[in-house]
Amino acid sequence: MLLLGAALLPGVLIVVIGRWSDAPAMQAWRTVCLAITVQAMPFLLLGTALSGAINAFVPERVFSRLLPRRPVLAVPVAGVAGVVLPGCECASVPVANSLIGRGVTPAAAFAFLLSAPAINPVVLTATAIAFPGRPVMVLARLLASLATAAIMGWLWLWLGKEKWLRPAVRHTGHREGAGRWREFRQGFQHDFLHAGGFLVVGAMAAATFNVAVPRSVLDTFSGSPWLSVLFLASLAVLLAVCSEADAFVAASLAGFSPTARLAFMVVGPMVDLKLIALQAGTFGRAFAARFSTATLVVAVLCSAAIGGVLL
Amino acid sequence: MKRFVQVTLLVLSGLGLLHVSLFTDDYLRYVKEGMRPLLVASGAVLLALGVAEAWSLRSGAGDDAHGGHGSGAGADPHGGHGSGAGADAHGGHGSGAGAGLGTGASGEGGEADAGRAVGEGHHGHDHSRLPRVSWLLLLPALSLIFYAPPALGAYTAAREAPKAVDAQEHFDPLPATSPLPITLTDFTHRVQQDKGLAIRSRTVRMTGFVTPGAGSTWELTRIILSCCAADAQSVKVRIYGVPAPRANTWVSVTGTWHPGGTLGTASAPVAIDVRTLKKVRRPVNGYQDALPIGTS
Repeated sequence: MLLLGAALLPGVLIVVIGRWSDAPAMQAWRTVCLAITVQAMPFLLLGTALSGAINAFVPERVFSRLLPRRPVLAVPVAGVAGVVLPGCECASVPVANSLIGRGVTPAAAFAFLLSAPAINPVVLTATAIAFPGRPVMVLARLLASLATAAIMGWLWLWLGKEKWLRPAVRHTGHREGAGRWREFRQGFQHDFLHAGGFLVVGAMAAATFNVAVPRSVLDTFSGSPWLSVLFLASLAVLLAVCSEADAFVAASLAGFSPTARLAFMVVGPMVDLKLIALQAGTFGRAFAARFSTATLVVAVLCSAAIGGVLL
Repeated sequence: MKRFVQVTLLVLSGLGLLHVSLFTDDYLRYVKEGMRPLLVASGAVLLALGVAEAWSLRSGAGDDAHGGHGSGAGADPHGGHGSGAGADAHGGHGSGAGAGLGTGASGEGGEADAGRAVGEGHHGHDHSRLPRVSWLLLLPALSLIFYAPPALGAYTAAREAPKAVDAQEHFDPLPATSPLPITLTDFTHRVQQDKGLAIRSRTVRMTGFVTPGAGSTWELTRIILSCCAADAQSVKVRIYGVPAPRANTWVSVTGTWHPGGTLGTASAPVAIDVRTLKKVRRPVNGYQDALPIGTS
């Protein structure tokens, strides 16, 4: 509800104020909001279809065979497995949820959730295109994202509590006597409607910041190395740019240090407004608040460390 | 949430996506042209889901409550709601989403109550319990169908620092045509990076939209997307010599470089002295820095 308020209130304010003074702002807000929704929709559908399919068609033993039995080892393996999901971050939340439902240890599922949108081939290729002649940027992004995902998985093993997760895990898998296709269709449909609503909340919040914060004020922060890292990291959270595009945005932030831009690309696919909304809807608010905060801190530290060494 | 609402949400979302991607070019206001097949496919999938849901709703309204595969009330714990009062019990649950148990179900008598109790205990496979936040999907769906907002324009461009153009080492000789059609990005490259100074005293022609600036000057602008309108960046060329047309008007201008600083370095202003100005139609895909078409 808080998130909903945070998303709606500024939007409503803009509507009200916009009527009198600044109608183009309102139009830009609606355009950006729709753009985020439209852009994310195919990937969200892909993710929810995958999660429905995992739920209905993939037997539980497949995962227990693929992943190492010990959770400590399963975490990095699941992180690396993120390579196979070619999409942006909206697809990974429902998939991670259905993995947990199929008996995958939550820590490994979260490592997958964090790494998949950042290290898949589509995103890495886009990064290479956005930073021509600097392949080290791609390497730094890959390493920093993997490190963050693995550390977050281990952190969950160490500190995480089941009770933060929403108790009702809806994905119960295939049951005797029910049509698999029917289960697939209903799981797919439910997940899409559920996540879609939260996607709209996130898009509204992101559009609000996108329109309210002109990018020209950014340059005031580019002087100090530490401040610029923190600033670009929080910008990644607020702007909620799709992970397939954030490399281009990062490349355009020419005034900032390479490490700060790396932080932008590492944080963006893991923590942003629409993701927080999606996670809150899928795993519960108690989880989303803690998990996103911790991920933000870990991601900033990882990119600072790896950026410091490589860039 | 009632299944009817789910059908409506799915069908409207599907139609919205199909409307902007298949029937019109409106999707180009929000995303890049490469997204079109994905959007059409998504719209078709959503529509199919909605139709399938409506079909099962129609054919099985009586004995096929949503998620209820069981036939005997309470006998199948996963079925959730028993068969007899199934449809109604389901409705009760739906409206109770988020607020706890539905009240409608309890009015159905023992049968429905039993089914509900078991279903709750199992946190069963009850896909009818959707949060109210799903209603928000109506906004983009209806907006896409009836009231699609325009592409980003002068408002956004005026508030953004111009896109940093990448460094270009090698410059080919410019074609001899005059006026020379050139993109805003290319012009910026030529003015600020070309040590051969090929752009000097050449008449160029560029197309873009009008972004009013301070005082009497204005800027010819293009907005470029990397992925969607949330990451819009702009390239601008400052215009001297003609008063600004209305903001967001698409114009084609010819003129020569406006001298200042040292040509071929970053100190050179990206600006032209305009000789002719002509209003043009907005290109179908406005979010790219394309060459002007046609003759002036």
